Amino acid sequence: MNLHTVLVKIEEEKISSEKAKTFIASEKNGAESIFIGRVRNENSGKKVTAVTYDAHDQAVIKSFQSICNEAKNKFDKNAKIFLEHAKGYAPVGEISILIAVGSGHRDEAFKICRYILEEVKHQSPIWKKEHYADGKEEWLPGHSLRPKKKI
Amino acid sequence: MEIQLKLYGSSKILSDKDTLNIQLPNNSNIEKVRDILTKIISEKHLKSNLENLPKTAAFFSERDEVVNDNYKLKDKEFISIIPPIGGG
Repeated sequence: MNLHTVLVKIEEEKISSEKAKTFIASEKNGAESIFIGRVRNENSGKKVTAVTYDAHDQAVIKSFQSICNEAKNKFDKNAKIFLEHAKGYAPVGEISILIAVGSGHRDEAFKICRYILEEVKHQSPIWKKEHYADGKEEWLPGHSLRPKKKI
Repeated sequence: MEIQLKLYGSSKILSDKDTLNIQLPNNSNIEKVRDILTKIISEKHLKSNLENLPKTAAFFSERDEVVNDNYKLKDKEFISIIPPIGGG
């Protein structure tokens, strides 16, 4: 099994880099690339205390699998990929996304990691609501999935 | 006819529940849902938060696939509204 894609209910379970490292470990791989995204304490000058992630679960998992398979086909068919994303209320410092890639060489490992991150942002139905220190909250703008009209 | 709209992301402001029941004329399509949403947003005084939602949202069928504006809806159909996304 070379692929692990999960949406983690962050109030019940943590995203673990140790689990990711164990998953991608292989004697066949000369490179491991790990990207960790965390909830940060500031956005556009506002003090952020937490982010709530909402997700269309089934569509997210479908998109994760499709993105990872695209990445493997594009860069390294034998790559091992671990992808987890948070769902629910995540305070500042919490891991929101973890992508770990084990590949034969560093170039492919870096490229797959970057490719997955950018595609998740553009394909996976996940939404962020920021919670601010002043008690306000706001859904963040994003990328529209509305099909383009044919001309 | 009536459809059930499952709410995600910013569209959750439209209701205290996870879904919104929407009354539509028979044989309506997604384009009609966009029109009705514009009215609902205006009636609920949510323009400052959701003014762009009717034109920027996508819609998923029960099979979790994006549907076009000319997709014909059936009575009691369950669809999801997909506001602009931004995970990571």
